[in-house]
Amino acid sequence: MNKTVIVAKNEFLKRVKTRWFVFTTLLGPIVLVAFFAVIGIVSVSAIEGGESTIVLLDETGRIAANLKDPEGDITFVESDADEQTLRQDVLDGTYTGYLVLPAGLIDGQGQARYYSTEGGGVSSFNFDLRNIIRGTVRTLRLQDQNVSAEVFDIINAGVSLETVKLSDEGEEQGSSAAYAIVGGIMGFLIYISMLVYGSVVMQGVIQEKMNRVVEVIVSSVRPFQLLMGKVLGIGAMGLVQMTFWAGLIAAGTMGSGAIISLFVDPANMDLPDTATQTEILDAVGFQVPDLGPEVFVFFVIYFLLGYLLFSTLFAGIGSAVEQQQDAQSLMLPIMMPIIISIVFLQAVIEAPNSGLSVALSLIPFTSPIPMVVRVAMIDVPIWQLGLSLLLLTGTFVGAVWVSSRIYRVGILSYGKKPSLKEIMKWMRYA
Amino acid sequence: MTQRCRYSHVPRVVRQPTDTTIMHSLQVQGVTKQYDKVLAVNNVSFEAQPGRILGLLGPNGAGKTTTIRMITYITIPDEGRILFGNERVGPKSQEIMGYLPEERGLYKKMKVGEQLMYFAELKGMPKKEARKAIAYWLERMGALEWVSKETNELSKGMQQKIQFVATILHDPKLLILDEPFGGLDPINADLLQSVILELKNSGRTIVFASHRMEQVEQLCDDICLVSKGEIVVNGPLNEVKKRYGKNTVLIDFEGSDAFLDPLEASGAVRVNARSTRHAEIRLLNGTPSKHVLKAALEHVSDITRFELVEPPMREIFVTAVTEQQGEQAAKAVQSGGGLAGSKAQGGAA
Repeated sequence: MNKTVIVAKNEFLKRVKTRWFVFTTLLGPIVLVAFFAVIGIVSVSAIEGGESTIVLLDETGRIAANLKDPEGDITFVESDADEQTLRQDVLDGTYTGYLVLPAGLIDGQGQARYYSTEGGGVSSFNFDLRNIIRGTVRTLRLQDQNVSAEVFDIINAGVSLETVKLSDEGEEQGSSAAYAIVGGIMGFLIYISMLVYGSVVMQGVIQEKMNRVVEVIVSSVRPFQLLMGKVLGIGAMGLVQMTFWAGLIAAGTMGSGAIISLFVDPANMDLPDTATQTEILDAVGFQVPDLGPEVFVFFVIYFLLGYLLFSTLFAGIGSAVEQQQDAQSLMLPIMMPIIISIVFLQAVIEAPNSGLSVALSLIPFTSPIPMVVRVAMIDVPIWQLGLSLLLLTGTFVGAVWVSSRIYRVGILSYGKKPSLKEIMKWMRYA
Repeated sequence: MTQRCRYSHVPRVVRQPTDTTIMHSLQVQGVTKQYDKVLAVNNVSFEAQPGRILGLLGPNGAGKTTTIRMITYITIPDEGRILFGNERVGPKSQEIMGYLPEERGLYKKMKVGEQLMYFAELKGMPKKEARKAIAYWLERMGALEWVSKETNELSKGMQQKIQFVATILHDPKLLILDEPFGGLDPINADLLQSVILELKNSGRTIVFASHRMEQVEQLCDDICLVSKGEIVVNGPLNEVKKRYGKNTVLIDFEGSDAFLDPLEASGAVRVNARSTRHAEIRLLNGTPSKHVLKAALEHVSDITRFELVEPPMREIFVTAVTEQQGEQAAKAVQSGGGLAGSKAQGGAA
């Protein structure tokens, strides 16, 4: 058997048999989902801020009676007290705030003024409050003009916007949000896995060097075979995990309709309680994304190539140092492209066809993450995919050449941590 | 420790003295290796023969490890060539070679059996055969019950033995052992030595690198002493010793050893070792041994032994390195009991 295969098999089995592997494979997605859920819950509750009581100083004499929060989070209380007293009550925390409605408000003169300890800001509370006041004032204005009930209904009828994605296969109804979410999750998974598996490879190289096992191993196999065996073995482990997770994403996508409808209250969408899942999803404007198998194929391909490129380079760095900490400064130049591609992740999701997105998905060191996002969201032109894959593969081959030359010297060098310049010199050794 | 297995479940590996067709000699021919600006090995040639043990000696930094790494095809010489069995060393020779490096190492989290199996597979050994050999050698080393333990649960001495098993598991034709007895108690050292001698008698070619001169003297048939990347002494041990002649006096006595001081001060001799009742004296500049005897008779109360001998290996080592590198290096070698690193060698000869 080829010795690279023996090394790869050993690296694979050694890791797959550990509890760590089973744990991360099964619990990885749960942790990831929980992570996003916690962020969601925290930010939602931070925005809503619970219930609040607002005192009204209604100089119009008409608004207060009609002011009502449909969600019931805000309670309005009328008061005859003078502003000075209310000010104190708010400062003492008796009320959340007080609202002054000047006499000419309905006629379009003056403006409503809200006083609270929190001031303005861009919270959804202020947004809700303004909507409530605006709605009530508008209704009163229409009533003053004797507008008929029919016109009233017409004005209040909802307007919804449906988005349609155009592709060569025709048009496709659905929200691009769903595609963006899937693309984002895939991009994020590739980011995490490149870093995690890359550092597993680096850790392995450093350990082998520090254990001094490496000298025995390279008296049996060529350093190149050891390097590639290690990268491929750990890559195979990663592939097993990623394939499992890709399957979960596929299943999650298909089940996303059911999940979304669980979180939507039919009453909020003016639907009866008996509304079916399809009706609810139509009302929210959500369409279960129809992802082709090619999305998952490219996800796995880009994960593999991205992993191979970066872990090979990480292995080269690992061979040059004796401790993980010493590797940090050497890793920075390699980490930069990964960081850049995750920083621009949002920009790529918002405009997957922009010049920036296209450029990032072609440049070999940054391409895996943006390209996977784009493939999930739009039909990427074949030439872009081809060029991107070609460049990435070519860069990987170059990285193998550079890393293996550093590696065969590095694994046998102990002592002072080498500088980048010294490492470059190793490449020229016979 | 008997050679025959007592347990029936451990199959005995047949390892009778091998026929001459697989007996190979190792030939290092004009090998040079340069790192950056350091000439690690400079035009070195020597031969290690089957059925013999070659002692590869030299101070730290002399180029031993570099030489060994070229023999094991870990690195490649800039110039010259290394042949094993008339073929250049390479991936093929790696499979019939066993290397025990000075700095030992095993995978900490792997089980002993799995680890040995991995090493055997890397040497191209079929699994079935490897399993037999692992059982045989672990039994022989008294380590069979450790087969499914993780390495980090083992004592240091036990790890040493496991590493030795990993070196000889695939029945190598060429063995390179760098300080094989380091960290072993006398009982295990004897066990190891008996295995090494057995391998030698069955026609294996063995290179033995060590700083322990008494072990070298005990085990080696030939020696090759390198210093600063060059060979300074090379040949069969007894011939090398003869070359240095009988120039060392061993004397056991009763009484004061004060007579040694004026002798040494006169420059006639150098005292290599002295203790209350014993001294090892090197005769310098053709000083006759009776000169020492005369001085001793005048001062000590009794002499229980007076012998003119060939210099011990340690003395040859020091003399040869001194001649090449100058006094300073040799002093560091002698006083420290250890050996001078190449950086400490200020004045070159």
